[in-house]
Amino acid sequence: MRKKSFAFLSCAVLAAGFLSGCGNQENSGKTEIELVQYKPEAVEVFKKLEEKFNSTHDDIHLKIDSPNDAMTILKTRFVREDYPDILGIGGDINYSYFIDSEILADVSNFDGLSEVNQGYVDILEGLEFIPTEGTYGVPYVANAAGILYNREMFQEHKWEIPTTWEELMTLCDKIQSEGILPFYFGFKDTWTCLAPWNSLAVDLAPSDICQQVNAGNAKFSDAYKETAEKMLKLVEYGEEGPFAYGYNDACTAFANGESAMFAIGSYAIPQIKSVNPDMNIDSFVTPGSDQADGNTLNSGVDLMFAVTEDCENKEAAYEVIRFLMEDENIQLYLDDQNAVPCKEGEFDLAPNLDGMKEYISSGNMTDYQDHYYPAEMAVDAQIQTFLIEQDVDAFLDKFDKDWLRYNRDIIRKVEEYNAKNK
Amino acid sequence: MKKMNNRERTFALMTIPILILFFVFNTLPLIQGFIYSFTNFKGYGSYNWVGLRNYADLFTDGRVGNSYWFTIKLALVTTVVVNVISLILAIGLNSKIKFKSALRGMYFVPNILGALVVGYIFNYFFTYIIPAVINMMGGEGTSILASTKWAWVGIMIVCAWQAIAMNTIIYISGLQTVPEDVYEAGSIDGATGWTQFRHLTFPLIVPFFSINMVLCVKNFLMVFDQIMALTKGGPAQSTESISYLIYNNGMSGGQFGFQSANAVLFFIIIVVFSVTQLTITGKKEEQL
Amino acid sequence: MKEKVKVKEKFNWPVTVLLIIGLITIIFPLYMTIVIAFKQPSEMTNSVSGILSLPRHWSLENFKEAMRVTDFWRSLFNSLMITAVTVVLSVVLHSMIGYAVGRNKARNKKYNLVYMYVISGMFVPFAILMMPLVKQTAKLGIANVVGVILCYVVFYMPMNLMLYSGYLVNIPVALEEAARIDGATTFRTFWKVIFPIMKPMHATVAVITALSVWNDVMTPLVIMSGSGMNTLPLAQMTFQTQFGTNYNLAFASYLLALLPILIFYIVCQKQILNGVVNGAVK
Repeated sequence: MRKKSFAFLSCAVLAAGFLSGCGNQENSGKTEIELVQYKPEAVEVFKKLEEKFNSTHDDIHLKIDSPNDAMTILKTRFVREDYPDILGIGGDINYSYFIDSEILADVSNFDGLSEVNQGYVDILEGLEFIPTEGTYGVPYVANAAGILYNREMFQEHKWEIPTTWEELMTLCDKIQSEGILPFYFGFKDTWTCLAPWNSLAVDLAPSDICQQVNAGNAKFSDAYKETAEKMLKLVEYGEEGPFAYGYNDACTAFANGESAMFAIGSYAIPQIKSVNPDMNIDSFVTPGSDQADGNTLNSGVDLMFAVTEDCENKEAAYEVIRFLMEDENIQLYLDDQNAVPCKEGEFDLAPNLDGMKEYISSGNMTDYQDHYYPAEMAVDAQIQTFLIEQDVDAFLDKFDKDWLRYNRDIIRKVEEYNAKNK
Repeated sequence: MKKMNNRERTFALMTIPILILFFVFNTLPLIQGFIYSFTNFKGYGSYNWVGLRNYADLFTDGRVGNSYWFTIKLALVTTVVVNVISLILAIGLNSKIKFKSALRGMYFVPNILGALVVGYIFNYFFTYIIPAVINMMGGEGTSILASTKWAWVGIMIVCAWQAIAMNTIIYISGLQTVPEDVYEAGSIDGATGWTQFRHLTFPLIVPFFSINMVLCVKNFLMVFDQIMALTKGGPAQSTESISYLIYNNGMSGGQFGFQSANAVLFFIIIVVFSVTQLTITGKKEEQL
Repeated sequence: MKEKVKVKEKFNWPVTVLLIIGLITIIFPLYMTIVIAFKQPSEMTNSVSGILSLPRHWSLENFKEAMRVTDFWRSLFNSLMITAVTVVLSVVLHSMIGYAVGRNKARNKKYNLVYMYVISGMFVPFAILMMPLVKQTAKLGIANVVGVILCYVVFYMPMNLMLYSGYLVNIPVALEEAARIDGATTFRTFWKVIFPIMKPMHATVAVITALSVWNDVMTPLVIMSGSGMNTLPLAQMTFQTQFGTNYNLAFASYLLALLPILIFYIVCQKQILNGVVNGAVK
């Protein structure tokens, strides 16, 4: 008897599933715009923005989805040829892949683009494997990486913010001599190796080094040599056995005052503050160069909006982006997420980024190097290996070799493109 | 004769529809994946045919080679450890003990805890607690997860900790099929302890032993969750399992085609491996 | 006779004590889980005492918040439904094919082939099936719960087939012959004689299948993404992003998710324990 009711239940559930699968297409005469954005931590503020938009627009209905693991979801939806209208993604290699797969539409006729800090538009352009005529994303907010420091501790010991590599080394010695740990690293999580790596590389290597290598005009073993050597120096000032501790350990340690500095991006601040809500954190640009004016801020597009080729009503999609780009809405987002706006104008920035403001306003910024690295090459793990084995030449040789291997399809395309355009 | 045919037909009717379902949701996608292994497909968008390039690459890629070595080493050691412990545990839990239900319930818990919990707790355990204990005893303790040489042992411990619960259940249900009277007959012959186990219990649970062996080998060859939770392939890429590579580079990275080739190779290897294993144990079963 | 009764009533204390000592390996991590679930993020420090000390305040705040964030009751319902349907279908279908294959594979080459074919399906890495399955379920119009459940029924078929046909080895054919002589059809024999006898194995299969389905993230993530439906593990992903993980909420949520499956196990293990085989074989 019980088995029968079970079987009946399962049939009923299956039937219900079939029905619900076919029945969620509603048509109310409004244009439906679906936005999928990849930052689940920003779900609350996007909910607010969604409500605000829908209450002020009669002809368009906006639906914002902030799923967990959005990249997997987006890729599986692309396989199904089920494209959202607008994507809220980061300026990383996935964006390059999406352009390459002709998923994104050219938005260069979008009027709001002119209000965006040109530096960020250029950063997006740089991410295209093959230069194109169009622009495929509207930069919304950026993040920045460098060195976070414990402001109270610095004031107490009267430590100065370093502006050159030498000053940084002197500062580290000084901190160490006072019995405090200069840095805490979380190198067990390999991706954290990329934070100091990127912020040193932007100072020391050409910003378009990856394109240069793809075109066959340069080698990483020359371009990254100084970065690699300075990376090794930096690790000497970290805790013992940094490969035992993860990102979370490092955030907790820094929050509890176990180290004076933490080489990571602005994105770590919420996690640090969750451990120590009253902590006074500031940041400065990693001084990789020997000259103070040789440094540049490591900053990239954290969130941009891209319209898919498949979107039927582009004007409605633009209207949504226009709304999101209104100053007060951007401010809403900034307050919630501690981010840096890509739009030009006056915004209240989080005090945690005081040390970086100057670079942002003057546009002295360079994109993260790892945004050009193919994920499957696992550069982060290679850097970790290098830091364990401490062999600069072996690391860079392998880097060059692996690069050619993992990028050969792209390199072939670049070669074809260059041959055609000569 | 006609009756026989009827019986045959019923068996066929029981098998074929389920087999079709299996074909549609397992074999068909596998064939598609196999086709993708000849392309540079990223998982979406356009792609080109690359012939056998992916397969040729497999044999020259050091990372792939290391992942096979690591995975096989881990699978073999963990399988032995898990089967020994869970067989002992199953016999213990199946004997006349007090608090039987409660104990069985508790020993099942590791199986239910999600990967995040297990990963976090064991990370803490290896990173802070064990070194602290060693330091207390005067040694110099560091986390084994940070050592390229020993990180796999950490993963082995966690895999075993989680898997023992399930294997124990299977052994317990196997022990249930051993009729009481076998023991009675045995005890008249004076068989106790190890002899009883070796000559009476074990032969009767051989089918379950082979099931557990296959399941273990399969689960540990395809180990993924524990790697993600504990080391994410580190330190220095020393703990990258095959599944980790296939998933990470195929899905998150843009190597779907290449990793499909890897998956096909992997599939062939395990099938050969386990068919041999099943044939051997199958022969044993028949002999008994 | 007298001795047998005596043996049954005496508990094996040394084994009991050993098993209780062995429990430390489980209670210790479980203790850590519970303590973390009650703490605040600010109480988490990088030291042994930081994790082992009791929380400053015992409050259910984390659990309440975790339930709110994961939309607990709805996600729980979805998870329960998917798990229940999968388990029922698995027990019925897999025991059926297990019976047909298990009874014939020794004699009939074809069934042995079927056995090997299905078992080999166990070794297909999910990653290679994922993209094709996504495409296929979308084309069939079942990119929803139905697709997820069908996938599960297929994924766990190899293991369950192995379990059922392994179990059949110890069930004497004589039992069926008796029923057949009484005039029962083969299907009826299966349903009335074999299916009930396999009860301990049903319970085992149910536990193992339920557990795998209950904790699975990937299948619902890729198959029903965009359908707006969340299972508990999907909802729990909220706690973990690359740049920050709220372990306290996550652990509270995991503890909540652990309860239903633990109860299910305790119910099932009684079935495993009270196996009817012993009586039936005699």
